[in-house]
Amino acid sequence: MDVTQFEGPHAPVPPVPEVVELTPELARKRRGQFRIITDRFLRNRVAVAGFVILVIMTTLALLAPVIEPVRGQFDPATTPNFAIALQGPSLAHPFGTDNVGRDELARWLYGARVSLQVGLFAMLASILLGVTIGALAGFYGGWLDSTLMRIVDAMLAVPLYLILFLLSATFFSRGTTFGIVLLIAAFSWLYTARVVRSEFVALKEREFLLATRTLGAGDLRLILRHIIPNAIGPIVVSATLLVGTNIITESTLSFFGFGLQPPASSWGVLLADSESYFTQQPMLVWAPGLGILLTVLAFNLMGDGLRDALDPQMTER
Amino acid sequence: MPKLLEVNDLKTQFRTREGPIQAVNGISFTVNEGEAVGIVGESGSGKSVTALSILRLLPMPPAQIVDGAVLFQDQDLVDLNEAEMRRIRGGKISMIFQDPISSLNPVMRIQDQIVETLQLHLGLSKAEARARARSLLEAVGIPDAARRLRGYPHQFSGGMRQRVMIAIAIATNPKLLIADEPTTALDVTIQAQILELLARLRRDLNTSLILITHDLGVVAGVTDRILVMYAGHIAERAPTEEIFDNPRHPYTLGLLGAVPRLDAERGSDLVTIPGSPPDLLHPPTGCPFQPRCPFKIDKCATYPPDLKVGRDHYSACWVDVTDPKEQQRAMQKGFIPLHPVGGTLAGEFSAGNA
Repeated sequence: MDVTQFEGPHAPVPPVPEVVELTPELARKRRGQFRIITDRFLRNRVAVAGFVILVIMTTLALLAPVIEPVRGQFDPATTPNFAIALQGPSLAHPFGTDNVGRDELARWLYGARVSLQVGLFAMLASILLGVTIGALAGFYGGWLDSTLMRIVDAMLAVPLYLILFLLSATFFSRGTTFGIVLLIAAFSWLYTARVVRSEFVALKEREFLLATRTLGAGDLRLILRHIIPNAIGPIVVSATLLVGTNIITESTLSFFGFGLQPPASSWGVLLADSESYFTQQPMLVWAPGLGILLTVLAFNLMGDGLRDALDPQMTER
Repeated sequence: MPKLLEVNDLKTQFRTREGPIQAVNGISFTVNEGEAVGIVGESGSGKSVTALSILRLLPMPPAQIVDGAVLFQDQDLVDLNEAEMRRIRGGKISMIFQDPISSLNPVMRIQDQIVETLQLHLGLSKAEARARARSLLEAVGIPDAARRLRGYPHQFSGGMRQRVMIAIAIATNPKLLIADEPTTALDVTIQAQILELLARLRRDLNTSLILITHDLGVVAGVTDRILVMYAGHIAERAPTEEIFDNPRHPYTLGLLGAVPRLDAERGSDLVTIPGSPPDLLHPPTGCPFQPRCPFKIDKCATYPPDLKVGRDHYSACWVDVTDPKEQQRAMQKGFIPLHPVGGTLAGEFSAGNA
């Protein structure tokens, strides 16, 4: 029998091509992980929309001290001008003026600074607190876990705004941004701690942690280098959602008069100041309201996009 | 050969609500420098617990090393504190696990996982560690190592991941490598490659190896000596050829008989050891294998000592299983004499024909 015609397992092996053409597919595989993540994020249009909104908001907030002198509304917070009170939108005052004649756009821009600041810094503080406590509870378990989680349960059982109003009115120097940040952070780490704890409980049983321990790694290294990076998705989502909720919490506090105090302005303060003039000048409510809505929505959309993009399991093989 | 590891009367138990479980019940063995020792036995016989006890990696509580010593380079690991133990782990003793899929950190580059060990134990700079990581990957037979170093675990196949695990384990030139079922999760063809790799690296690095498996075929080609474990005890220990040519413990006979054979009659049932391993909460008194043992005699109610049955060959059994009369008796209770493996096992063969 002619061996070359035998179609069984001994069929001749096709020659291996020596030069492999660099197809787009191959080129993609050669890119760094950062590019892959960026690409995946950019392909998510909704998330990109959120990101763009946040870039615009942040830029406006950062540039407020630059824009305002140019517009000639230099000290909008403190300069009442009753002659132009409650005007509608115009070229000089695109968002109109408030009840004491201050330029609403100027207040809105400075308000954006405060709202974003409070949202971000309170988020950082509560992520720090939530991740630490969640990690300790999840990693060590036992009595430490029970104690910490019962504290979380207890704090979640307290009506949030009631306790915030009380604390704001009694302990914290009213109206300072720093005080508000601490106050919000003190009560917004709870869900993060729960999420991080559950991630830790699930992750710590994974074999790679035993393997890493076998290599001589200690607890701190396991937590910081191995478990937290594996839980980064939920932490990032938690963080972005927190900025949103923190902005809302701040606005609510300010709206009810327990947050920042006039003449300081945040979007919440603007809402509080203008709600009685809604029928006369709806723009005074729409501007800060939409500011809050868009920003919070943008943070949520971006958080979702980041979660999908950061998951390494979804990388093309 | 000088002794590297000496385990003396090691007893590890798990405390449970129902009472203590004796997972490892007083085992003793040594591993010499450069030697490969296999530990075989079925699930729950205490193989892995032995390995994890040596490295003190069992969660304590509920686990507890209640007695015994683990002398490694004349240092009792049982007495070391956690910081000292961390220097041993990965530095002097490394371990490879069963499932390479889940033994690597999914969100860390291969490179960083190798570099981490090197930095922990050898204090290399990042650049030195990376260079070494690359040569390690090459040493375990991963092609295109420079590029693969930047990859993530999910971009590797199971066999490749096990190679990476081995690269990490040998990164610091450990004196002892413990491989806990390193091939169980892999395809048969890949299994052979991994075993070959382990055997080669052991020779090249002069590392001692403890190979844990339930597959006698796996240990046959790699190890110098074999410990057969059953219910937390060592049933038999002997040089590898002795275990295969001249098994002296009924449990070893059972294990050998249960190895599937290509030349078995088509359609014939797979051979098993009847019964199941004892409940370690309530172990039988005496020999733990006696409820399943066709060779059982009255004397089995007391635990047999390690009886020397040959050169470096010990069996914890009262019965001389090579005695044709004992085999006749056992066959009436369902004992199937072993087919000869490679023309040996002459005693069993003639008994089977009788």
